[in-house]
Amino acid sequence: MSYRKAFIVSNALLLAAFFWAFGKDFFAPWRPYQAKYYKMAAESLDKKAADEKDEKKAALFKAEARKMRGSPMEIKQIISGDLGRFDRCVTCHVGMDEYTNPTLKNEFTENPYKSHPKVDSALVKAHPFTKFGCTSCHSGQGLATSVEAAHGWVKHWEKPMLKGVHIQGSCVKCHGDFETLKGAEVAAQGKKLFNKHGCQGCHAINGWGGVVSVELGDIADKPFERIAGYNFKKIRFDGKELPNDHHHTEWNLQNWILAHLINDPASVTPNDPFAHYNAEPIPPSGMPDFTKELTRADADAITAYLSGQTKEEVIPYRYHVAGKAPVESSLTGAAHGKYVYTKYGCQGCHGLDAKQGRRRFNAAGEGQVEYDEKMPEAEQLAQMNLGAEPTLPKLVGTYTHDELVHKLEVGVAATEAKKWKDAGPMPMVYMPAWKGKISKRELNDLAIWLRSIAEKDESGF
Amino acid sequence: MPTLDLEKIKKEVIDSQLWRSVFRGGVWKDTPRDRAGHIIGNVWLHLHPVKVRPRALKWAYTWGMGGISFALYLLLTLTGVALMFYYRPTIGLAYRDIKDLEFAVTLGMFLRNAHRWAAQAMVVAVIAHMVRVFLTGAYKKPREFNWGIGVLLLTLTLFLSFTGYLLPWDQLAIWAVTVGTNMAGATPVLGNEGPLGALVGMRINNDVRFTLLGGTMVGENTLLRFYVMHCVAVPLVVGILLILHFWRIRKDSFSAAPYEANEAKVDVWPHLVKREYIAAAGTTLFIMIWSILQNAPLEAIANPNVTTNPSKAPWYFVGLQELLVYFDPWIAGVVMPGLIVVGLIAIPYIDTNPKGVGYYAWKERPFANTLFMLGVVMWFALIYIGYALRGPNYAWYWPWESWYMNKPAPPATWSVFGPKGVGAYSMLIGIPLMGAITAAWMLLPKLIQKELDGKKTMGAFLGLLALWAGVGMAMGKMDLVQSGYLLSLVGASFYYGFVLPQRHIRTLDWPRYLVTMVLVVSTMSVLLKMCANLAFNIKYVLTIPAISMNI
Repeated sequence: MSYRKAFIVSNALLLAAFFWAFGKDFFAPWRPYQAKYYKMAAESLDKKAADEKDEKKAALFKAEARKMRGSPMEIKQIISGDLGRFDRCVTCHVGMDEYTNPTLKNEFTENPYKSHPKVDSALVKAHPFTKFGCTSCHSGQGLATSVEAAHGWVKHWEKPMLKGVHIQGSCVKCHGDFETLKGAEVAAQGKKLFNKHGCQGCHAINGWGGVVSVELGDIADKPFERIAGYNFKKIRFDGKELPNDHHHTEWNLQNWILAHLINDPASVTPNDPFAHYNAEPIPPSGMPDFTKELTRADADAITAYLSGQTKEEVIPYRYHVAGKAPVESSLTGAAHGKYVYTKYGCQGCHGLDAKQGRRRFNAAGEGQVEYDEKMPEAEQLAQMNLGAEPTLPKLVGTYTHDELVHKLEVGVAATEAKKWKDAGPMPMVYMPAWKGKISKRELNDLAIWLRSIAEKDESGF
Repeated sequence: MPTLDLEKIKKEVIDSQLWRSVFRGGVWKDTPRDRAGHIIGNVWLHLHPVKVRPRALKWAYTWGMGGISFALYLLLTLTGVALMFYYRPTIGLAYRDIKDLEFAVTLGMFLRNAHRWAAQAMVVAVIAHMVRVFLTGAYKKPREFNWGIGVLLLTLTLFLSFTGYLLPWDQLAIWAVTVGTNMAGATPVLGNEGPLGALVGMRINNDVRFTLLGGTMVGENTLLRFYVMHCVAVPLVVGILLILHFWRIRKDSFSAAPYEANEAKVDVWPHLVKREYIAAAGTTLFIMIWSILQNAPLEAIANPNVTTNPSKAPWYFVGLQELLVYFDPWIAGVVMPGLIVVGLIAIPYIDTNPKGVGYYAWKERPFANTLFMLGVVMWFALIYIGYALRGPNYAWYWPWESWYMNKPAPPATWSVFGPKGVGAYSMLIGIPLMGAITAAWMLLPKLIQKELDGKKTMGAFLGLLALWAGVGMAMGKMDLVQSGYLLSLVGASFYYGFVLPQRHIRTLDWPRYLVTMVLVVSTMSVLLKMCANLAFNIKYVLTIPAISMNI
């Protein structure tokens, strides 16, 4: 090819590449949605005009339809400066844009054209879109203007859109009174279940609760880098693995929380109990297996509640609604002790109503055979899993009242545990010192209740 | 009906006062005078000579890489200035501005892609240009100085790319820059973690890393510093050096080959200019299509509390990062790159071979070409290992292995001379022994007067290594993989570091010989240390904790 030809061809190709780039930019993914919305809205208005008998009104409809047809294609956005949000969702969801659709209502049923449901409800009235934006409640990537990216179903976007009931977590972010709030029933139920099953015994929220495991007051901000990795491959939903993609829509924080409630956490985080990969053995997750106690709906409710536990999102104080101050229980004696047992989450380890201690990996306990070096690893694992927290009625009978109160106050360190396999990992969970966390009166009543349920030694000694 | 006389219109337009005021010269008649006037009379073209030797025009000779590098530089300036209209270098806004570029700005994504990809391409083009110039011996007298400027330009290209890496303020950016700048903290004397640093009062808040970052960690100040360096300071220096570089090319004449009898020059217009245009247009086209098809990476917003695993430097520095596995940061991050830059600049002054100027001459310059290409191959091989084969916890993952597979922790390492090493007296025995071995290695090739038979010497050495491996395996202390590492890496360093110098440069005068051997032995030390680490889990050969120096 001569240089003259190459000159002409390369210039032509450069021009073509420019148009290609410009075309790709011009025909952005949001454009067809917006165009179709205007078309649908105009047709709908035309129909209204045809059906309208009053000529003046019909003319108004027609004028409105003309306006729709002549609307320029543009990126629309809601700027919510207070909440630091720039939500371009209304670029496609035009029916939810107050400027294009002031009534915020239309008859379309399909996303992204349909209007926001329940716009007349107190919930929406109290949260005008122009002030709160979209992602304050729904999450997702407000700045994005393509389908996958905007909903947050892409790599490196940590807060994809909340699905189903999990959106109620957003109420929890501001509403301290969410337990009595209409519309936040699932999150309220989640909190109830969280406390009923004793999660707070190990996981404090905003400082309220035990210190055995991580504080969950900012669990919704947990970075993906910390939850992903090979552990995500181990979780099962209805017996199935999640799609095999590092940042697929399914690989999000909500599913990570759920995974701990509908799977045995020890199977989600098996770690390295036989020191295959590390110098020291590392026990699996110390969290008890709640699969028998919680239904999927229960697990979803707890997930919704926890989805609202964020500290990263800066929400001005004037947006917050205070909850009611906690009420001191009017119960006394053993009845109060039982209440205290549940209030502080003792059942998280010692079981509901102190009936059965939960798993404590590699602790020496009942029903285990003697450790033997030649035992295959699978069998060892089964034996280690038999280790359990004390079943309190069997234990507390041996304490005097004062001894028991003291024990509750100082706790039991992890190092005091008797291991089943000496070279195995240290049992993860331990009894924290409750002094200062539980009041003297509460401790006293707790000890009274515990001693009242202690098994009596009837052997005659 | 009057006919349209195009020629007449053209003449009238060109002869008009307006046209003549803008363009010098009259109607184009394609005479030699016209063609010369085109170069001389045009401020943009007159850095060219009027005539050029035809051999300097051949694609197979130039690869067009110098021109392409400059075309990419211009492209980067253009796209970079455009991007500056949308970008604010503060940690609250930077990431959001990039998101705006991606999602809301007309052609924003395309501009960002083009800037990103052109920067990567420029790194490759500049390295390719250097390789070409080396292989054609075009750095030799009188072009030594211009080669040195070229090396500086290569370094600045890498630095420009590196400073730009931080600006999107995402996880990729801060951790890559953290990896890169942490190496600066290990600079001997000037860094707080480097040898002798603590002795002269270097702390985390006053050393060279602090100066670079404007703080003790990558933060707001770093972003501003990198922004100013990226957009103003470094491009200015590059521009000045480019003018020098081009000026010297013109003065030292295009093509270094000795003149042949009756060699006729050709006009730069159109012969050189048309080639330059095609190269630039092709490059632009390539970058445009790449930018349309592939988006630049953008990860989650930077979070200093969440370290990515693995954290990797920008790809062109991943080779040095891979060296961190084998060496302490002050060697991998400071001494090695320093030696590379200084060594490259020194090449024209230590290479006295008069042959192979202006043409590819592997046979006439076996030593220079082999060692240089070995360095280039090692540079890219280390980048490949670091980039493609290192997974979580920087463990070795083959391409077919999933990163979700857990890898055992690496076996415990040990030091030969040091507190926990087998030879406890590092000061007393270690230093003298290491010194003696290095000195012997550096001196022996020149002291052995007679040229060694390459095949016989290599055979004997490999035999010795095989004997070592055989005895080790017989005693059950070594396995096949270790033997493989031993034979390949130690064998290679003996061949390139001893046999080749003995055969080819023992006649060099002492100063030049010693400088060359320092560079050769340093290069081989990488291979040897890789072997020691990969095959025998040796962390250090010599440790002197008192001055935090480990080798």
